[in-house]
Amino acid sequence: MPRQSAVDLAEKVRVQAERSGAQEAEVYVEASTTTEVRIRQGQIELLNQAAMQGIGLRLFRDRRMGFLYTTDLRDTVTNELVNRTLALTNQATPRDENKIPEFLTMSQANLEIYDQAVADLRAEDLVRLARAAEDSAFAQDKRIQTTRDVRCGASTVEINFSNTFIGRQTFKASVVWLAATPIATQGAQKREATYVDRKRFLADLARPEQVGQIAVERALARLGAASVPSARVPVVFASEAAGGFLGGLFQAFSGLNVVEQRSFLAGKLGQQIASPLVTIVDDGTMRRGLGTRYFDGEGVQTHRTVVVDRGVLRQYLHTNASARRMNVPPTGNGIRSYDQLPAIGPTNFYVDNGSSTHKLVEEVPNGLYVTGLAGFGMDIVSGEYSQQVDGQWIEKGKLTKPVEGVTVAGRLDEMLLGINGVGRDLEFRSNVASPALRFQSLTVGGSA
Amino acid sequence: MPPERSMSRRDFLRKGALITGALAAGLPEAVSFLHPRIAESAIMGIGQELRDVLNEETVNRILQEALARGGDAADLFAEQRFRTSIVLDSGKIDSVTYGYPRGAGVRVVRRNQTGYAFSDEVSYASLLDTARVASGVVETQSRTNPIDVTRRNIAQPFTLLNPEPLLVEASKLDLLMRMDAAARAADSRIVSVRIEYLDEARDILIGTSEGIYVIDRQYFTSVSCFPAAQAGGKRASGLGTLGGRVDAEYFTRVSPEGAAKAASLQAVRLLDAGPAPAGPMPVVIAPGWGGVLIHESLGHALEGDGIRRGTSILSGMQGMRVASPLVRVVDDARWPNGRGSYGVDDEGTPGQRTVAVEGGVLQSYLLDKQNGWLLTQRSTGNGRRMSYRNWPIPRMTNTYIDTGTSDPQSLLSGITKGFYAAELGGGSVETTSGNFNFAVREGYAIENGKVTRPVRGAVLVGNSLETMQRIEGIGTDLVVELTRGTCGKDGQLVPVGVGQPTVRFSSIVVGGSSI
Repeated sequence: MPRQSAVDLAEKVRVQAERSGAQEAEVYVEASTTTEVRIRQGQIELLNQAAMQGIGLRLFRDRRMGFLYTTDLRDTVTNELVNRTLALTNQATPRDENKIPEFLTMSQANLEIYDQAVADLRAEDLVRLARAAEDSAFAQDKRIQTTRDVRCGASTVEINFSNTFIGRQTFKASVVWLAATPIATQGAQKREATYVDRKRFLADLARPEQVGQIAVERALARLGAASVPSARVPVVFASEAAGGFLGGLFQAFSGLNVVEQRSFLAGKLGQQIASPLVTIVDDGTMRRGLGTRYFDGEGVQTHRTVVVDRGVLRQYLHTNASARRMNVPPTGNGIRSYDQLPAIGPTNFYVDNGSSTHKLVEEVPNGLYVTGLAGFGMDIVSGEYSQQVDGQWIEKGKLTKPVEGVTVAGRLDEMLLGINGVGRDLEFRSNVASPALRFQSLTVGGSA
Repeated sequence: MPPERSMSRRDFLRKGALITGALAAGLPEAVSFLHPRIAESAIMGIGQELRDVLNEETVNRILQEALARGGDAADLFAEQRFRTSIVLDSGKIDSVTYGYPRGAGVRVVRRNQTGYAFSDEVSYASLLDTARVASGVVETQSRTNPIDVTRRNIAQPFTLLNPEPLLVEASKLDLLMRMDAAARAADSRIVSVRIEYLDEARDILIGTSEGIYVIDRQYFTSVSCFPAAQAGGKRASGLGTLGGRVDAEYFTRVSPEGAAKAASLQAVRLLDAGPAPAGPMPVVIAPGWGGVLIHESLGHALEGDGIRRGTSILSGMQGMRVASPLVRVVDDARWPNGRGSYGVDDEGTPGQRTVAVEGGVLQSYLLDKQNGWLLTQRSTGNGRRMSYRNWPIPRMTNTYIDTGTSDPQSLLSGITKGFYAAELGGGSVETTSGNFNFAVREGYAIENGKVTRPVRGAVLVGNSLETMQRIEGIGTDLVVELTRGTCGKDGQLVPVGVGQPTVRFSSIVVGGSSI
């Protein structure tokens, strides 16, 4: 955790900036500790132990903005940086939206994002969890002879924040993770798969045996995969793949992209942009959420924002600046680390569970079940989507054979409106998540 | 080699105070808008601030501590970066940033085991602690030989006369404004322009238990222009990039306005693009940034970690056919001004030119020290890290398919229905299966041997070994892209170069929406 002197120093630097001519100043101190072990064939391959600390200082003068960050807290350095950054700030263009938020009402509720049990984990504990997951992977099936590795880590962070209007505010958060990547071998073919769980609280973390087992199931399911002929068919994205898709879609909801005409969702507020089955939420206050925080990177209280309500676009997501440009209240989505300016990002961003018990796969006569996404394929400006995927082929409502080396493609607006099934398997192992989604019809690109 | 220390710290502080005092009196901009820490280091000498704390003697003692509990090797990596970044959006300078990250990491290696720890504070005491923490990976007690590091010279791959970060801030702002104006003037359908500028000087100091002690400064500049076009309810974006490991004169040799205009015209062309086709077909990829293909298809699979673990499709394939006989693949850390170029890698090994594939046969892997040792081979100078907070892993530098013998135009002939990739986007690969993909930003249909109508972006997918066998023609028009390319692996981002001449494939699966 931060040397108290760092927090004091940050305050001193902010006050100094204000005295030197910054009308508004904001300081963000981030101090974290991380321990990660990587196990392979029972042996420790990596033991990484990190304690880091940095400060970011944002300055405003005459609606111009300048920013500096450093890990070097010697005061001769910080003095010099402040003065030169102020000089540089004069070169920026005045912008009305360049203003820091003046009020912060911290949520009084306990959001449960810090677990002392995670902070207390030692390297030996992590080694034990990782070994148990790997042992379990090897025990599942004789086709599992090796792993890429099994990783177990724990991290805690303390944020200290203040600005010209708001006195020092602070919170702590923790996260623990366990990820197994077994490799299944059959003849000359090798296929890997990863299963990762990530939680704020140690008690919520999946048991290592379960992590190893699910990862192995995934790797084995890929053996023997082949391409399929190109076709236009219904496509079901399994929960994790749907979460990956939603993560790519996030920037289309960014207020800045919307105001700058860089999103296919610009100008669509109040319109039906997705099937009535779809509700999308960004919730920075979700208890134990991986994206939960008491306030965002510029001191705005976090919110629960319904972005898409039963298919209707209700809200874009904002930093303070993008909210000012669109004349709406900020949404607490100013995400940053000490070395970055706040930028619009997700807190806990998810598609809500479906309300009916859709049998997503069972209802498909002929189609593709997508379990893995690779690479980049979403263009949120033009609204085009094309991505490498793998999974299983669906025939008469059953998964019949593993598929790889194929693409799925469509136009995002048509895809969202064409969602005709939303699963009930929403689970948070990342801060962006979705239940399984079924798209009415996508182009699968494969063999001739 | 950096100049010896020319001034004591106290003298510097006095001089620093003079400069600050003179600022108010209105010194020319050239002095007033330099990155503040660059100014200090210009007075003190490259890497001198790090060397003040980490001279040969203190490095010896820190490495001794790192190996006190045993281990085969240890190294110390200290770094400080001077970064200036500027963002222009909607015609205004949105933000200006000075970054000054600084710290050092210690690594202890025992066979395939790595212990790593770092400190954001560069002091002898904190790095002794860091060394002790890093040594925690080693479970045995053993004696180590005394360590004695000696300063080595670095053979720089090229010389920068007037490195970019010394360009004055005012001219950077002017550069962005000029590019913005040019991008907007290119076409009335341009509705938005964002430009991101970054320059950096990175000082590194490396000491290793083998006795190496090096200090280097690496310069880096990047400008990206993102225009968006809108018409008739359609939107499209363009991309223009400038930079590399270049000097200040670079911006007078290239045309920033030209690059911005080209990016806008690309966005406008894509407004009219129809849907891309789906399925396997002959594909021709344009030179330069098209090298994303070789980076994904073979490059990552050549990296030593996957080879050593036996998890890469290219494990055990040295001396074997991995591509069409037309193919030579080179990874070159010494390519002039390349994004991935350096005189020394992040383990202290000189950067080199490695012929990885010759005549379609795998000649050499891309190795860092640890994986090199474990494979009983030598490092090829490919040990890189994102920062002092990361341990080195084998990475590409500037990777390209070397020049071929075909007239580029002739590579289109005989294709009745195919796909021309004029510009790629990003890509990815899974090295255990060899399945890889790369996105196309700007594509065209090939019809009866001619490039015809524009088609919207699509990903192309394939399997490394199959796809590389399907190369049936390589042009004479090699281009190595210097201005874009950032590779992510294991959470570490590093700048890389990629390149190729025009290359023709008999068949690749195109992932469009039109069947």
